[in-house]
Formats: sequence, C-alpha cells, structure tokens
Amino acid sequence: MKTYTDLPSDAGSNIIGQVTAQANRLQQRLTSVKYTVAVMSGKGGVGKSSLTANLAAALTLKGNTVGVVDADINGPTLAKMMGVRNATLEYTPTGVKPAITALGTKLISMDLLLAEDDAPVLWNAHSQKDAFTWRATMEVGALREFIADTEWGNLDYLLLDLPPGTDRLPNVAELIPNLGGIVVVTIPSEVSQLIVKKSVTMAKDILKVPIIGVVENMAFYVCQHCGEEEPLFSADETPDKAFQQTVLGSIPFDPRLAHANDNGTPYIDKYPDTPVSRAFIQVVEKIQDFFKSQTTERSP
Amino acid sequence: MKFLCTDCDTAMKFKDVTRPEQGSVTALFECPDCFTEIAMYLNPSETQMLKSLDLKLGGTNEAAQPMQLVRSQLETAKGESMPNMFSSETGSGETAEGGKCPFTGVISDAFQEDATPTEPIGPTWTAEALERLERIPAFVRPMAKMGIESFAKDNGHDEITGEVMDAARGNFPAQF
Repeated sequence: MKTYTDLPSDAGSNIIGQVTAQANRLQQRLTSVKYTVAVMSGKGGVGKSSLTANLAAALTLKGNTVGVVDADINGPTLAKMMGVRNATLEYTPTGVKPAITALGTKLISMDLLLAEDDAPVLWNAHSQKDAFTWRATMEVGALREFIADTEWGNLDYLLLDLPPGTDRLPNVAELIPNLGGIVVVTIPSEVSQLIVKKSVTMAKDILKVPIIGVVENMAFYVCQHCGEEEPLFSADETPDKAFQQTVLGSIPFDPRLAHANDNGTPYIDKYPDTPVSRAFIQVVEKIQDFFKSQTTERSP
Repeated sequence: MKFLCTDCDTAMKFKDVTRPEQGSVTALFECPDCFTEIAMYLNPSETQMLKSLDLKLGGTNEAAQPMQLVRSQLETAKGESMPNMFSSETGSGETAEGGKCPFTGVISDAFQEDATPTEPIGPTWTAEALERLERIPAFVRPMAKMGIESFAKDNGHDEITGEVMDAARGNFPAQF
C-alpha cells in the first residue's frame, strides 16, 4: 500500500501552494518598503499608539514616505489619533488604498473597516463559542492582509503599532522575516518594567529580532508655569539599566499630547518647540541613525 | 491531508465540497480508477480553522482579492459599496449569519454558509425523525444525517419519517 510520501499531492487542495501564495503576496508588497519598525511594549497603556502616531508624523515631516499598520486588531486607535477616522478605503484590483493623513502619512487600521463606533471586531463563525481556538489565527490573517494588500507605494518606513502582550511579536516576526527592528515603549514604573522586560527577552533571545532601543514615555512632568521637572512614577532602575538596551529618548508627560490625540492632530506639528516634540525628534533621529549604521556596516 | 483508495492503491482526488451545515463542511473525494467516493466531515472547529487560515478545500484558481479574508469574514464591517469589479458577481451580500459586507457573496468560498437559502434539495424531515436524529451522538450526527438523506433519496422517499430511519438504520453503526 502506498504511503503518505508516495502520493503526489493533497488530493487537489494544494494547501501548501495556497499558503505559499499568501506569503509571496506579502513579500512582494514588502519589496517597496525600506525599513519596517514594530513599536511594542508588552504592557498596555504606556503610549505605544501615541508614540507611533508622532514618530510617523516626525518621520514624514523629515521628508520620508511613511506607512503605518495599526496591528492592534481589537483595540485600534490610530485612525482617531491620526485624524482619518472618516476616511473611506478604496478597493482596487491590486490592493486597498490606505487612509492618508493631512501630513501625508498612510494608515491602515481595523477601525477604518468597522461599521460603528461601538462595533467590536466580530468574525463570521457558526458559533463564537470556543473562539479561542481560531480567533488568533483570524487576527494574524487580518494583519497579513493589512500589510500585503494595502497599496503603500514606495515607503521609507513602515511602522507597526503592536497591541499589548508578547504574543503578537512572533506573528509579526514570522510575517516579516526582515523586520528592521523594534522600538520598545515603557514608562518609569516597576510594574511596567517587569512586563516590558519579558518583551525584550522575547525579541532579543527568542525571536532574535533587532531591538533599536527603548523609549521611556511619561518620563517626567514639566510644569507649564515654572518649567520645573517632576517625576510621575518611581521606578528605581533607569531604563538603560533595566533593559540593557539603548535608550532612544525620554518623553515628558504633557496633557496637550492627549488632547492632540483626541483631536487627530499631530502633536509634533502643532507644538514643535516643546520638550515633548524635541524628545520625539531625538527618538526619530536615533532610529534613522540605527538604520544608517546598518547600511554602513553592510557597505564594502 | 491525502486519501488513498486501498482497493486500487490510488490517490483519491478532490471532487466537491458542500457549504457548511451547522458549521460543519463536507468534502467529497473520489478514486479516479474505481470511482469510489468518500466523504470527509470537518467538525465546526476544524471548518472554522480552515476559514481563519483563508484556505480553500479543493484549491482555487482565482487570484486573491484585496483583503478578502477581512472583508468576507468581518461581521461588524462597514456596508459600503464595493467597486464594479465585484458588483457583477455579488449576491445579496448578507450572509446567513448576518454579515454586512457585500464582498461576502462574491468569494468562491466553500466555507460560507449559503448566502441565499433556497428550497431544500432532497427529502424533508418530520418532527419525529428530527427528534430521533438529535439523539444520535453529535460527532456522528452529520454523517448519519447525510446517509439517511442519501438512503431516502435513493429509495424515492420525499419525506424522512421514523419508518424511513428504521429502514436506513441497517447502514449505520449508531443507534437512533
């Protein structure tokens, strides 16, 4: 009797061919992207999306072509923060035209596909019972399509805003084997550092993905009246000691940043001459330096 | 997954796939030599997993449409019109389970529940027969149901009653 390997194919479904076609479509799209950067934390509520929106704005203002993937499938916020919630996606035979911000940054987000403000991401299924067995798979499929099927054009940077937790990074690393690097976001609290360390380990030791550096958000508060700097949290360890990684910058807390996010206005464009904007610019310059140094290392 | 006709020692070929019934899809395979058919039943979890991977049983020759997984499977999607490239083939756009995306009806997707239910093909079930059907263990119920319907059809019964089930019982290991 013939064995598994004797049979030439899987009876005609060509499952491997279908999976390969999906991967090829993704890789084909990524050929027009110079650098991919994942913004992650592990911890929720530290300002990943806010940082992503402003890094994207800063990179765009510096003359780069920038695309952003809101990889937080279930909690998408970037369309709101980047002021494109009312955008209508345009479908063409070759892809989906992304939303484009006032500055020219391109964005794809689940928020642009949802029917109502209060609509959760609900997938078609015979039953939502036992959804834990397949929901994550569906979300990775959605992320793959966001990257592969968006008409990005030529991009200098593609930023991916990851949801909290360490589980999405392995998916991204698998989808984008040449992931340029990771920006890790934390706040100066011991609770945050405890969780973010797990993400650093996942990236560095398990997935072997390059870490560009750590951004410490809400690092301190600058009094708008006297200019005095006051700490908001009380972690003993500084981020360089806690994570043993390059610190790309420390972003002060500024209530106007939250207002700008709510209004869909790039803070960095509205308040260019503030400590927060200067910190964003510093982070962006270090990210650019990271990739420049890689290019130099590769050059003969 | 591969299938072998043990009588002929020949690889079976994919023949057809049904739309899901109660979340369970059925794929038919046929031996190219002796034409023996077998049915493979995927339980709802297996069916859903294949759907989530955006894979088609029996393969596909159609080029992938942009964001076809998201647009066909997102229940809470915007119902905006799709461009002409899709509209000529678009059905009602409403899935049996309430999806709003007009794209849903377009994809040649074996995993979609039938978008436009039509008159049932084959015999109907009496209440008594359905009650007996429910007593069959869940994991073999779809197979038994299909077998009984096939028996009824082959024997000219338009309606499946208790008597028809009794007559068909000899073909099945499960008691009902």
